[in-house]
Amino acid sequence: MSPVVKTVNLVKIYQDGAVPVPAVRGVDLQVEPGEFVAIMGPSGSGKSTLVHMLGGLDARTSGEIWLDGKRVDTLSESAWALLRRKKIGFVFQFFNLVANMTVGDNVELPALLAGASPKVARERRESLLAALNLTDRADAAPAQLSGGEQQRVALARALANEPSLLLADEPTGNLDSRNTRDVLRLLSEVHKQGQTIVMVTHDARVASLADRLVSLFDGEIVDDGRIARRRTRTAGEVIDLR
Amino acid sequence: MSTLLAGGRWIRADLRARTGQAVLTVLAVAGIVAALITAATLLEDSTNPWRSLSAQTDGAHVWIYTKDSPQVPLGGIDGVTQTAGPYRSAPVTVAQNGKKEPASLRAMPATPPAVAHPVVAEGRWLDPSQPDGVVVERSFARSLGLRIGAPFTIITINGERHTLYVRGIADSADQGFYPEWTPGLAYVLPLMLDRVEPMLGRSEWVTGLRLADPEASQVVSQRAVVLLEDRLQRVYTWREVRAAMELDNRLLGTLLALFGVVGLVAAALALANAAGGRVLGQLRDLATLKSMGFTRGQLALLLLAEHGALGLLGVAIGTLAGWGVMAAMLGAASVAPVPVLAIVGGTALAVLAAVGVPAWRGGRTPPIPAAPAAPPRGHLSRLARLALLVRLPPALVLGTRDAFTRRVPAFLTAFGLAVPMMMITIGLGVWATLDNFLAHPEQVGQHAALYVKPGKEEPAVAERLASQDKDVAEVYPGTDVNALAPGEARSVRVRAIGSSTSPYPFPVAEGRMYARQGEAVAGQGLLDLLGLKIGDRVRLTVGGTPLIVRIVGRTVEPEQDGEVLSVGLDSLAAKDAVPPEYYALALKPGADPQEVRGRLLASSQEGLDVQAAVNPADRLSVIRVVIVALIAVLALIGLANLLTASALGLRDHAFDLAVLKAMGLTPRQVMATLVTGTGLLVVLGVGVGAAAGVSVVTGLIDWQGHTSGVGAGIGRAPSPLTLVVAVLVAVGTALAVALIPARRAARAQVPVTSR
Repeated sequence: MSPVVKTVNLVKIYQDGAVPVPAVRGVDLQVEPGEFVAIMGPSGSGKSTLVHMLGGLDARTSGEIWLDGKRVDTLSESAWALLRRKKIGFVFQFFNLVANMTVGDNVELPALLAGASPKVARERRESLLAALNLTDRADAAPAQLSGGEQQRVALARALANEPSLLLADEPTGNLDSRNTRDVLRLLSEVHKQGQTIVMVTHDARVASLADRLVSLFDGEIVDDGRIARRRTRTAGEVIDLR
Repeated sequence: MSTLLAGGRWIRADLRARTGQAVLTVLAVAGIVAALITAATLLEDSTNPWRSLSAQTDGAHVWIYTKDSPQVPLGGIDGVTQTAGPYRSAPVTVAQNGKKEPASLRAMPATPPAVAHPVVAEGRWLDPSQPDGVVVERSFARSLGLRIGAPFTIITINGERHTLYVRGIADSADQGFYPEWTPGLAYVLPLMLDRVEPMLGRSEWVTGLRLADPEASQVVSQRAVVLLEDRLQRVYTWREVRAAMELDNRLLGTLLALFGVVGLVAAALALANAAGGRVLGQLRDLATLKSMGFTRGQLALLLLAEHGALGLLGVAIGTLAGWGVMAAMLGAASVAPVPVLAIVGGTALAVLAAVGVPAWRGGRTPPIPAAPAAPPRGHLSRLARLALLVRLPPALVLGTRDAFTRRVPAFLTAFGLAVPMMMITIGLGVWATLDNFLAHPEQVGQHAALYVKPGKEEPAVAERLASQDKDVAEVYPGTDVNALAPGEARSVRVRAIGSSTSPYPFPVAEGRMYARQGEAVAGQGLLDLLGLKIGDRVRLTVGGTPLIVRIVGRTVEPEQDGEVLSVGLDSLAAKDAVPPEYYALALKPGADPQEVRGRLLASSQEGLDVQAAVNPADRLSVIRVVIVALIAVLALIGLANLLTASALGLRDHAFDLAVLKAMGLTPRQVMATLVTGTGLLVVLGVGVGAAAGVSVVTGLIDWQGHTSGVGAGIGRAPSPLTLVVAVLVAVGTALAVALIPARRAARAQVPVTSR
């Protein structure tokens, strides 16, 4: 089975005036289908940039990105946009719900964009909101929702186009502990249903939910390993250090 | 398809979130388009009622007035296909509701002629079984308030009264509309005219010539002048009739066109500003849309569709409104499709161009939603540093700094307010000019408030009665005659009034007043018509007698498109000047013309015919309605700009509010900061706009006066008081509008989140 996403020597250098600022310096990463990868690292380690590049929000400076067995780093901005409709779901730290649209419309929008009929989009939105316990908030404006609720809506929206890859950039960075727990529970449920997830976080407890942890420092992978599960896995499994 | 569906959702949601602003945009564009269409229709030739009236009545192209029935074969002139008449016509006065109006009673047969037959609009045509019937020309009937069956009381030159009854009201292309064209026109049977005015010497004969080629009217009338020699009284062609009918339409059309075109620029700016501001305020949402899979082009199209649709809706509503108004006023056929299509196409393009740039910029939003769209920060502007230096309160310093952080929107806001304000100032200038007509009628040639015709009395008695009244300051004897201009083959008005040594005080705008016999002053229209300039000599023919005068000055002349020559009575041959036709009465300051008129009528036992002068401002009062409507549309445009500025200002401050409060600014100070930011731009825009308006208004009105024949020298800028009030109202309203959101923002609990 081909990996969902693969990067080869991925580099991103920002140009700040005349001074080049390297953000990502040669990252090789491979994510298998159904994997839940957490990317950790201190501020400025390049983890958000990496995720943005994986979703095509930011252009790479050099290196390769492969998505579902196809090379995508050479795509134009528009081709990336069309690709995102079908294959990628994003969850951002600040929820980024479209402020003027109702919760329901926010969730339906990606499904419509992916080519679903209005009827199918509506069904999808209803099942997603029901799963996230938000059915009664469908007609509310995002601003009327609490942070946790907004992030749950953002999660529903990211899943509405049934993406092969869910990218989450600090999804709990702006939430209190209770809401963090809720969102994480949802992420892990989605993961259990087979969703491939790449999540950026700087919170070790959040990262512990994933089954693989990639540590980034100064734009390079310094650590990449599977997380042992006390309950789900047998003891003594070898931790794969690279 | 999928993009359409998703985009449609987004547009709908966004419009719902800013209904007020959207409605304002639509209304502003609609108002401008309606003004433009109205202007084009009024200026378009086909709206001139002459064209359809002439077609309906198979109108004549040249009208010839002679002292007696012409003995020469006018129908034999080359190019003449048919003739109407000659009809006998007698001057009478119509007494209606206490008013006396001049009319000419024309004898017409019971079977309407083939050429220049009046078209009966109401009632019936003349019938021998009802010899006391009269058919009145429609504009004259409307002015007198006449209906079918109403009595029509006429007073003949020798003072006899006759009562006829209105049997019909008819349209005619024989002459212009009453009261612009006097005397009014009424038709009776020849038998009745013989009974009313048996004296042939007091009547004239009217002959209409229909030509194969209307353009040949000049040649034909020249020929008629030669043939008729001194039997000819006056002659005019269809061009004068058409010009008389379009007089006010042209003025209104020009005014609307001026406001419409400048308003379109302002509306396009407002639209660009609103779309740009909205896009700037939505960068995060746009980025989110991109992260969901909208491409750059789709996003730009989406924005273009949303903002463009508002403009296009405005264009559509404006077109319907403009068309509706014109159809209601002038009839459905009056709106010419080509200029309307051009206006619709042009404004639609302007709208799309205006929103195109912000839409394109919106499409280029980077797709990373976290990227903050903060205003460019940096040093305090020079103005802000100045504010700091003079130790203004901190809120004002911050506001001053904020006003110019975004240079382009700041410029657009100030400019977007300056343009409507300039036009409003011009509108107020037009208003002031009309007021000036009313307050100082002597400046538009109406030094005399009353005109007394001897009527039943002897002229000497009339003069004595008039000069004895306690409120009459001066009595000027006068006579209006028609003169043939050389080479023009048409008549112009010669007004002989006062004497050369104590002349009637005409408002001379250039040159000087006439001071001796053989000198004259003329209106701009006459100078243009005959290609004259001050200092030239001109030779006219008055009833066969030559009148040679030197033009020594130009007067402001609101009558007859300025095609009037004014001389002293002594410059005219005695046969035309004695006795004077009327006496113009200049009243003492503060005297009420109606009171004086009442006294004169009483002292002469209703023997005198006393008329009050009609001020041109009364005739142009519809302009005031137009000005108010245009000011409303311009205010909408200004308001749209203001809302954009205010929304943008607030958005830029969402970050700062918490910080400002944390620094210790009270909600009131925060509010002051926000209001200062917008208010400074408002004051700048309104001030510049008002100054620009004042500097051009007099010139514009004078230019319009020059082209319309009245002549330069009538333009007035709005009074300083009006201007100050207008500026204060504009700034005050603007601040009040900016205050509401600022107040709400200052009071709100500001969440400390990054946007």
